Parts: sequence; C-alpha cells; structure tokens
Amino acid sequence: MVLARVKGTVVSTHKSPSMQGLKLLLLEKVDAVSLKGKGDYVVGIDSVGANAGEIVFYVTGSSARMTDTTKGKPSDATIIAIVDEIEKDGELTYDKGAGSAGAGA
Amino acid sequence: MNLARVRGTVVATQRSDKVEGARWLLVEDCDQGGAGKGEYLVALDMVGADRGQLVLLTQGSSCRWTSRTDDRPMDTLVVAIVDAIDQGGVVRWPAADEAQTAPKAGKGAARGRKG
Repeated sequence: MVLARVKGTVVSTHKSPSMQGLKLLLLEKVDAVSLKGKGDYVVGIDSVGANAGEIVFYVTGSSARMTDTTKGKPSDATIIAIVDEIEKDGELTYDKGAGSAGAGA
Repeated sequence: MNLARVRGTVVATQRSDKVEGARWLLVEDCDQGGAGKGEYLVALDMVGADRGQLVLLTQGSSCRWTSRTDDRPMDTLVVAIVDAIDQGGVVRWPAADEAQTAPKAGKGAARGRKG
C-alpha cells in the first residue's frame, strides 16, 4: 500500500457506466518520513470518505477492485484507509490528531 | 518477493479493507545487506515482525492468497522474517554492524509510538 495525500477531487461527467457514482480523488504520493509530496500524482477511487489534506494509503492493481465500493468496477487505485498516525523508529512522523504534523500539509 | 526493513507502524481507524486484527507496518525497501533505499510502503503484518527486522514482502494480487486476505483489498504483505542471507558464501544478513542491534526473529511486536 502506498502513502499519499489527498490534494483534490477529479470530476468527470462523460465516463463508462461502470464508473458512475465513484468518487475520484487526486492523490500525491508522499515521503513517509517528511510527509512531503513527491510530485508524483495518481487518481484514486475513494472507499473510505477521505477529504482534501488527509494522509491515506491506497492499493493498486487487481486488489483495487476488492472493496465494497469498487467490486466489479474498473478501478486500479483505491483508497482503503485514512491514516491517523505514522510511527518511525519510535517517533511519530505524522499525527492527524495533532494537526499538521510533518511538512507539506 | 522483495526485501524490506521494518521501520515503524501506521495507524488507521477509518478503513475499508475488512481485514480483522490488521496491524500495519511502515517498511522500507532495502538491499540484501539491509541498507534502506528511501522508498517506503505500508504493509499488512502477517508474522509479528519487529522494528529493524529484515522481512520478505509479497506484492500484487498474490497478497490475496491467504485466509486472512482472501478477497480483501491488500497489495503489500509482510510474509516472512529473514534470519540470514548468504550471497556466494558471504553472510550479508545479519550484517556485521547490525548483528548487535537487529532484534532476533520471532515473537514480540514493537508497538511503541513515542519512544
């Protein structure tokens, strides 16, 4: 699973019927330590109710079709969790409850 | 399967993966000597791995071939703790400078968060 920050939403009206009703979010991959964006963006399907600014992790490939939201849908990147905390070597590099821990919020 | 080092843990309460008792590890891609490459992933712990340990990652759809992850949206698993790596007769793991600090493979999970 890949860590990313929700940077915004993606809107599409003309799309495959199988994509109807899915929420598309613009994600930027982040470094797990600094929480800084890597400048590497993907569009992911939301299955947890994520909002802009939140740190999430997403699954790719065929595993992206395994949530209730994306069963049978042509998703290859699905957000499956909103991150509360990231701990590295005993220290929190990200703590959602404490506000904008780390850079790039 | 790729080699990685366990660097920490990731906590998430809002989830859609439906994996019971899931424990998420922050893992860093590394070489066969345990040197990190600076690339991190979130992985589901299947073995009770500890911080510092060298582990084996399974990625992609193969991750769903366990009873806990069958039909679940999982694409990165820690499936084994590496005890030793021999490369052409040279012991690469545990590395000489890691021998004292690397926790032994086995039970006991580092859940500490603040020190």
